Amino acid sequence: MVEDPAARALLYDRYAGALYNMVLQLVPVKHRANEVIVKVFNWAFHHIGTFHSSGYQTLFAWLMRKAREFAIKEVVPESALTGTELIKQEEGILQRFYLVLPTDQQQVFRLSYFKGLSIATIARLLALPEEQINDILGDAMRSFRQFLKDTWN
Amino acid sequence: MELKFYIESGIIESFVLGLASEAEVEELQHMRRLYPELNTEVEFVERRLERAAFDEPVLPPAEIRDRVLQKIRWDHNSGGHFGDNNSNYTFINIQPKDGDHITVHRWWKIFFIIFFIMSKVFLFLAIFYYLKYRQSQEQRSDLLPAHYQQEQVQSRSL
Repeated sequence: MVEDPAARALLYDRYAGALYNMVLQLVPVKHRANEVIVKVFNWAFHHIGTFHSSGYQTLFAWLMRKAREFAIKEVVPESALTGTELIKQEEGILQRFYLVLPTDQQQVFRLSYFKGLSIATIARLLALPEEQINDILGDAMRSFRQFLKDTWN
Repeated sequence: MELKFYIESGIIESFVLGLASEAEVEELQHMRRLYPELNTEVEFVERRLERAAFDEPVLPPAEIRDRVLQKIRWDHNSGGHFGDNNSNYTFINIQPKDGDHITVHRWWKIFFIIFFIMSKVFLFLAIFYYLKYRQSQEQRSDLLPAHYQQEQVQSRSL
């Protein structure tokens, strides 16, 4: 992959738009989202050999997982954002899904997916037992399954 | 029935989004080995998500494409192969090879600047405290004779 410029360009051209959409939902600041995209593809070109052992069935899901990992590191506190640099935060499949969730699931899903916090940290933040957080996240995932099925089956 | 319940629990969606814990991922991989049909279900979920993202793509700025493809070219070339067969660029190594030059990390620059500033600060403090010390010594020597005179007057009167 690293040696083949055509393959690299093909991978980028096929997935960059879809991935950028997902990244902007996590990092609504354009220049930071751009950095995430550069990192993801640079990583992918060097680690394409690990795709088959990753457990993912599609390249998109494999790339999306890594993009989220990089994006979480780029996440800035919401209080530090100004109106001009925020873009498209309210759009995208995961943002739309987030908006249809009940309040408790919204809170846990936001902290878990968008902020990348662990179950233990969320439990501490919300002053709830970890089991309860696990249950709420489980409910959110069941809702997500239904959401995907209803919209893109 | 048990498998259907497992699938409906949302564990696959959790895995695909990267929210599953290590234990849950291990359990899912174990279940995939036991029930290969789970792989099809994982693919369904990934395809749905992929379709959703492809339905509303947002193209990154054009310069990002250049950066991504350029960066990997540089990374590849820095491995010792200057120029590749498909490249239109000619790389010229302008680093001198006479053995009189060394290459150091950029942090050394910051280190030397801090070191230089600190040395100036300490030099200033050293001069300042030396002058202050001299001044106090002079004040003491001015005071001492008067003190002795006073002691002598007192001893005579006794």
